[in-house]
Amino acid sequence: MNRRAALKAIVLASLPGVAGCGSRRDGKVVIRFWNGFTGPDGGTTLTLVRQFNRANPGIDLRMQRIEWPVYYRKLYVAGLGGRAPEVFVLHTDSLRRFAEAGMVRPIDDLVGTAFPVADIDQNVWRAAQLGGKHYGLPIDVHPLCLYYNRRLLREAGFERPPTDLAEFLAVARRITRASRDPEGVRWGFSISNPSPTVYSVMRQFGGEVFTSDYSRCTLAAPANVAALQLLADLIHKERVAAPFMDFDPWVGFRQGKVGMTWNGIFMLPDLQKQKDLDFAAAPVACLGKRPAVWGNTHNFCLRAGLAPREAEAAWRFIRFYSDHALDWAEAGQVPARRSLRASRRFRDMAVQSQCAAEVPYVTYMPQIPFLFEFQTELDLAVERALRGTATAAEALATAEANVNKIIARRSAEGAAEVRR
Amino acid sequence: MTGRRRQDWLGYLFVAPYLLLFGAFLVGPLLYGLRLSLFRWEMLNATPPAFIGLGNYREAFSDPNFWKALWATLRMVVWITPCTVLLALFTALGLHSLRGRRQGLYRAAYFVPTMLTITVVGILWRWFYHPDLGLFNSCLQAWFGLKAPWFSDAAWATAAIVIMTVWWTMGGPMVILLAGLQGVPVQYAEAATLDGAGPLQRLWYVTLPILRPVLLFTVALNTIGAFQIFGQTYLVTRGGPEYATRTLVHLIYDTAFQNYRLGYAAALSWLMFLLIGAFAVMQFRMLRER
Repeated sequence: MNRRAALKAIVLASLPGVAGCGSRRDGKVVIRFWNGFTGPDGGTTLTLVRQFNRANPGIDLRMQRIEWPVYYRKLYVAGLGGRAPEVFVLHTDSLRRFAEAGMVRPIDDLVGTAFPVADIDQNVWRAAQLGGKHYGLPIDVHPLCLYYNRRLLREAGFERPPTDLAEFLAVARRITRASRDPEGVRWGFSISNPSPTVYSVMRQFGGEVFTSDYSRCTLAAPANVAALQLLADLIHKERVAAPFMDFDPWVGFRQGKVGMTWNGIFMLPDLQKQKDLDFAAAPVACLGKRPAVWGNTHNFCLRAGLAPREAEAAWRFIRFYSDHALDWAEAGQVPARRSLRASRRFRDMAVQSQCAAEVPYVTYMPQIPFLFEFQTELDLAVERALRGTATAAEALATAEANVNKIIARRSAEGAAEVRR
Repeated sequence: MTGRRRQDWLGYLFVAPYLLLFGAFLVGPLLYGLRLSLFRWEMLNATPPAFIGLGNYREAFSDPNFWKALWATLRMVVWITPCTVLLALFTALGLHSLRGRRQGLYRAAYFVPTMLTITVVGILWRWFYHPDLGLFNSCLQAWFGLKAPWFSDAAWATAAIVIMTVWWTMGGPMVILLAGLQGVPVQYAEAATLDGAGPLQRLWYVTLPILRPVLLFTVALNTIGAFQIFGQTYLVTRGGPEYATRTLVHLIYDTAFQNYRLGYAAALSWLMFLLIGAFAVMQFRMLRER
């Protein structure tokens, strides 16, 4: 091939990418699908996309995978410019800001009566709803779960993981003290996913982080303070949890130096790579008065303003994905549909089926448009309390005041806008 | 058309491509950013942008996050610039005394880190600083029986960023200073030697004064670079602990691309621009003095 021919080939090959969405000359509907599945979950999704394309010759589904943090920025900017893909994934806690910006198409008309809505847990389905309309189809739930090192638990004299505070403390103390290592590098517990862990315990203590109308932040409420203080005490008073930041809590668990840790079910593929680790999973222990656990959901959403033909094709893909959520579950997820969770195939997935018990009481982060600003304050408060540079009360009081300043700023701007 | 005029016209033609790009991608966005900084422009609000004058600048001065980021940045500048330039100078002096291929080999070796992207450097050094598995703590543990809190202590985290930045960026100024040293006429050093000057006196009274413009140029470039530090803190310490290493650019990035507050982020960018501008003017005044 000479140079000119090669150049021509490159230009021609790049044309479909430039052409973007809409219909192809051969009449196929082109559907772009963006997601942040860049881990092992991406491989599963790619297989499903290929299957879908084979089964639907009239549709050309094109997937693009982008790392989550970059993904959300890219999606938002694309949405503002009217260039968002036809199908995209939104976590439940991000749904509201995209829906309020008018970028997401409600799916209620497409769901109609053909889709078994009752198959999805009410708390999960309701979380995709805003102002009476549903803005995405929940595919999965990915809660925190309690990963434990079976060998360390057995050596400490326990056959099963703890379910309440008393048992949790007993196991954590025994594992930490059973350590014969002079450095004491066996820890009963490590906080490997700090803010979701703290948020779970806050909810277990009955804490709320906002008033019901989101007009005021209540992070420093007594229940939240007690929850954060309990976790800080595990490190500094009880000394049964690994020190915060001077120890890698997740790598420590993988190395077999930690008895228990709470982390997302999506971390399962990471543990499966560790062939010499004898681990299992269970629902997180209830350290407060009611079961609750942080979780999130991947909702498959449609771009606002799709042509009917595109919307129909996009919905067909979403429906296909939901029907095949068991394949998706293999990558470390719990399907949102109960019928799939009841299947033998799912029950054979040891970790996923254990964590499925958490779905009815899974609790999402507040759906606020300023989630990142809130998260920054929460992360800082958690870090200060767990490092021991502030008490839980001091750290949360500062965070609460700062979040309330953000709310005041936003409402003042809204008011100024109304006056204008 | 006279010859002179044609020459002018040709000159403009030659700089036109650069001017076009400079205008479109630097001056244009800069001015647009200035306009943006006078607006409340939040992508997360359904309400359209509104002109608020100097409101964003007022907010910055009363924002503890801004002051914290400013101090974090100044701490970095104060450590990184002198460390980099001094180390680059000493290395250049050392290399200058070598001859032939050996000099080329060492110069290339010292310059190699500069060619790596910050992503590679950041991921690599994050592992070096890992509390348990990292190279540094393993060595410290083996030799002295202790571990450094690279990520959990503000001073150590700052040191971590400074060390890796010096390693990463030292090659550039070293090459410039080496070129400067090679331009110092040998006769001056020989004359000084005849007058009885020792190596240190030759360096202090002969080499450094001649090298002064080059030295000031590298200091200016490094200061500007250190003010703009971002990749290192973003990838290695992630701004922690407790945002003690979140620099100005890091804060601007979080403000614009996490919180989508474009107007406020633009105001912060302009404040930083003015600050760097002031430093640059100060340094170039010093450069002009003699």
